[in-house]
Order: sequence, then structure tokens, then C-alpha cells
Amino acid sequence: MEKKRASDEFELGPVPPLRPVDRFGFLKQDLTAPLEGPTKTRPIDELEREEKKIRKWRKMIGVGGSDWKHYVRRKPHVVKRRIRKGIPDCLRGLVWQLISGSRDLLLMNPGVYEQLVIYETSASELDIIRDISRTFPSHVFFQQRHGPGQRSLYNVLKAYSVYDREVGYVQGMGFVAGLLLLYMSEEDAFWLLVALLKGAVHAPMEGLYLVGLPLVQQYLFQLEQLVKEHLPKMGQHFSEEMINPSMYASQWFITVFSYSFPFPLALRIWDVFLYEGVQIVFQVGLALLRFCHEDLVKLPFEKLVHALRNFPEDAMNPDTLLPLAFSIKVSKRLEELKEEYRKRNGLPESVLHNKQLHSSNSEPCSASS
Amino acid sequence: MAATPARARADYDYLIKLLLIGDSGVGKSCLLLRFSDGSFTTSFITTIGIDFKIRTIELDGKRIKLQIWDTAGQERFRTITTAYYRGAMGILLVYDVTDESSFNNIKNWIRNIEQHASDNVNKILVGNKADMDESKRAVPTSKGQALADEYGIKFFETSAKTNLNVEQVFFSIARDIKQRLAETDTKAEDKTIKINKPDQAGAEGEASQKSACCG
Repeated sequence: MEKKRASDEFELGPVPPLRPVDRFGFLKQDLTAPLEGPTKTRPIDELEREEKKIRKWRKMIGVGGSDWKHYVRRKPHVVKRRIRKGIPDCLRGLVWQLISGSRDLLLMNPGVYEQLVIYETSASELDIIRDISRTFPSHVFFQQRHGPGQRSLYNVLKAYSVYDREVGYVQGMGFVAGLLLLYMSEEDAFWLLVALLKGAVHAPMEGLYLVGLPLVQQYLFQLEQLVKEHLPKMGQHFSEEMINPSMYASQWFITVFSYSFPFPLALRIWDVFLYEGVQIVFQVGLALLRFCHEDLVKLPFEKLVHALRNFPEDAMNPDTLLPLAFSIKVSKRLEELKEEYRKRNGLPESVLHNKQLHSSNSEPCSASS
Repeated sequence: MAATPARARADYDYLIKLLLIGDSGVGKSCLLLRFSDGSFTTSFITTIGIDFKIRTIELDGKRIKLQIWDTAGQERFRTITTAYYRGAMGILLVYDVTDESSFNNIKNWIRNIEQHASDNVNKILVGNKADMDESKRAVPTSKGQALADEYGIKFFETSAKTNLNVEQVFFSIARDIKQRLAETDTKAEDKTIKINKPDQAGAEGEASQKSACCG
């Protein structure tokens, strides 16, 4: 009970003045840009296409997701293709829970989340509080000091840090949790976080956050090798300029592109990430590098690092970037490189598969592309 | 002025690489933004991993390009951030004057420097958020000064918010490093002009020391 009172002591900060936001709730950066009038919003035929797409999706998932598993079993490739085109925004939260296996975890563990939030204390509480206002500060939901968004974010992160004390709280997790909270309730977001970190469907992500960030190190190694193989000229330029992948890519993995990429792109990446797994992060990374290849190979060190952290707007259009990403085949090579990394560093045989959570009913999807 | 191609290309006389370290939330990124862009924002996002900014300043008629690396403060990120210590010529140790534990942790950060940075790296102690109301202050100025004296390093209290002493901190450490580099230069018998390749902090810094000069 102590804890509950502590969180109730939060005083609400002042409600920020109304400012124009975009379709996803982010404050508009450029206030001088013309406001989107009702006519300018979206053309009629685009709306109709969207309606049609939503109807198809509703049919596919059934009421509350009841037909989903059946559909995935019968037509996995249709599902994959549709997810790659983007999940309709109004169904995103539900579909994310279905494809990540988190829905099953939630049903198997009634009351657990409440227990974690209300009765448990975490060694990470101060660390979490310190970062709350520094997570998506430009989004209306998280903007208000101690407002509902910030409280939910705190609760989910605290609950996770208690649920998994070995991981606890690590900077970057807030962006993942924050993204989820824009599409689902606290409890749903919590179980999706569990599904991801413990590996309900795909390889567990917890290694991204454990002491020593072992999975970040492995992914950066794999990415560096893939750059050399897929984009040899750039690989050469990077090594001449002494570019280390940690200078630009650690946040790609730690937050799955939710840290500093345009939200519409982050969402589309997340659709695919939840269904197909982490290889999409490599594919998108390589696609960005390939898209900007001509410019990047000319830049000297400082400008290069800056460019790698600030890709131009046209590179980040999901409808051009994602098809490019899908065309880059990485899954086989990723496996080989993982093995190579393991040997180089004298690490034990992978135990990833044994460690996967058994969420009895979730459908592991084919990860190959 | 010298007219070798390498010299002509460089838009600075010295390249100095600095690193900001200290606990999470003490204001490292805010100090850096204030110094590099002259601005301050309260809606800052957490630094994940590593970032850097550039500012060129002038000292005694020399153009000094400062390449300043900013790091995530959380302990878990040290596996990534300590790789950047070796290339640094100067390190700013930052704590928050309203947060005693961030001050107490300075000795751990110093230990990190001893383990991972070059032996002759310059250090400076920075107590940030000095604009905060005295009632919120947890570390008196005298304690900060005493710790700095103990390590034989300079000390400033700053505020990224009000722009108190921000310029002074960066100029002070830049001046000390420039002087150290100039001394090494004079000592060196070899007077050939070294190519001023802007390399970086991250990758093993053996090469980085020589990149800093250009007498």
C-alpha cells in the first residue's frame, strides 16, 4: 500500500497550452508551416483505400482477434505481405499483441501486473523517474509533468524492472514502452515488453539490456560485417574514416528505431519487427545506408557521423525505404555471423532457443524473407 | 601562413577531442547544447549510447576545433562509452549540485578514467545546475572545490540553463590542452608538419594524439 501512495503523491504539472499536433500526436516542430486544413488532410480515394484495407484486416483478425491464429496458420504469407504494407493504425495495438504473443501471456497471468505495480519496490525507481520527462517529450501524451502518459510510462517500466531484476531498467527501454503505450493499455504494454525481452515468439531481446549489453555488441559486429559485404565501398570508407558502428547504430537496436526516427517510419518498422524479428532492423539500417550511399562515401569523419545520425527526409519515407529493406537478404548471413562472433569471443553455444518463453498458443512466424 | 596542401585544407590549427562523463541526468547534453548551439531546452531526450558536437573557438590567435563527445550516463552503457575514453584529450567530469549521489560518484568516474583514458588526459570538474535555488542545493561549492583540489584539477560551477560559466569551462580545458600540446610540440625534435586528419575518439586512440597538433 505504501507504494500506491507514493505514486499518488505526484502532483500534476500545469496543462501545457494547446499546440498543433500531427496525426500521431507529436507537437509540430515547424509552427510556420501552413496548417493542414480539412480539405488538405487526405484525398478521398486514399481514405477509401484505407477503409477497404481496414475491412480486410477486420475480417482477417475476427472480433477481438478470435480468428487470427486460424488465419495465420492457413495463410502465413498473406499475413506477412499485409503486415509489410502496414497495419491499419486503428488495429495496430491489437495486432501487435497478437503477433508478439503478448496476448497469451496476459491471459495466463491475471493480476500479476497489478501486483508488480502496486506492491513491489524497485531499485531502479529513481533512474526511471529521471528519464520519464526525457522520453518523447514532444508527444502530447507524455508531455504533461506527472500526467497520465508519464504515470503509465513509469508504471510499466517499474513493473518490468521488478519482474526482471537482472535487466532492471536501462535507458532506451522507455522509448520502447512509450511507443507501445500509444497503442495499448499499461498492462498490455507491459506484457508485450515481457514477450519481446523474454522471447515469446522470436529470439529474446533481453541481451540488449543486460550488463555488458552483450546483444548490442553482437548486433554491432554483425552490422559492421554486413555493411562491408553489401556495400563494400562504404565499408572501406568507414574503416578509413574510423567509423565505429556504435557511433550511429546502437540506438537502432536498443530502441528498434523508436528513438530518433520519424514516427510513421518507426511504426511501419515495428509492424514488421514484431512479426518477422530483429533482422528487419539490419535490413532497414542497410537500406538507409544504401539509399544515401553516394553522399555518405564522400563525407569526412565528422560530417559522416552527423549524417549517419540525421538521415534526410526522403530516405525515411516508409513506402520507399521498406521495399528496399525487404530486398536485402540477410537472414542466412546473420546466422553465420552470429556463430563467428560467438567463436571470436569464446562464448558458449547459443542457448537462445531453450530460453524462449513458452507461450503455448502463439504462432512462431517464418522469419525468413 | 603555411601553404602545404594539408595545412591549407584544414580550417583549424588544433583539433581537440573532449569527452563529457558523469551520472545520468546531471545535464551533460544540456551543457553541450548550450556550448555548441547557444541554446537550452527543458524537453531534452535521454542520450542513448554516444553523440558528439563540434565548435571551433579561437585562443591566442589559433583556431581550435573542439570535437566534444557526449555519453549516456547510466552505468550499463559503460561497455560502449569507455571505448571512447582513450581518444579523448580532455574529460569533463560533470555532477549535479542538487544531487549528492552524482557528486559522490565522481570518484568512480575518476577510476574509470584511470582505467581507460590516456595517462596525460586533462580533466576538469563541473558542478552543473548551479542556478537552482539554494534550498535545493545538496553539494556546497566548497566541497566541489575540495574534491577538485584533491585531484589537482580545475573546478567550475555551471548552469546550462542560465549560461553560467559554460564558456569558461570549455575554454579553460581547451587552453590547458593546447598548452600541453604546444609543449610536446616544442620538445619534439621532429619539426615536420603533421597532417591534421580529423580522426575520432572512438577507435583506438593511439593515432589520435598526433592528430591534434599543427604548429
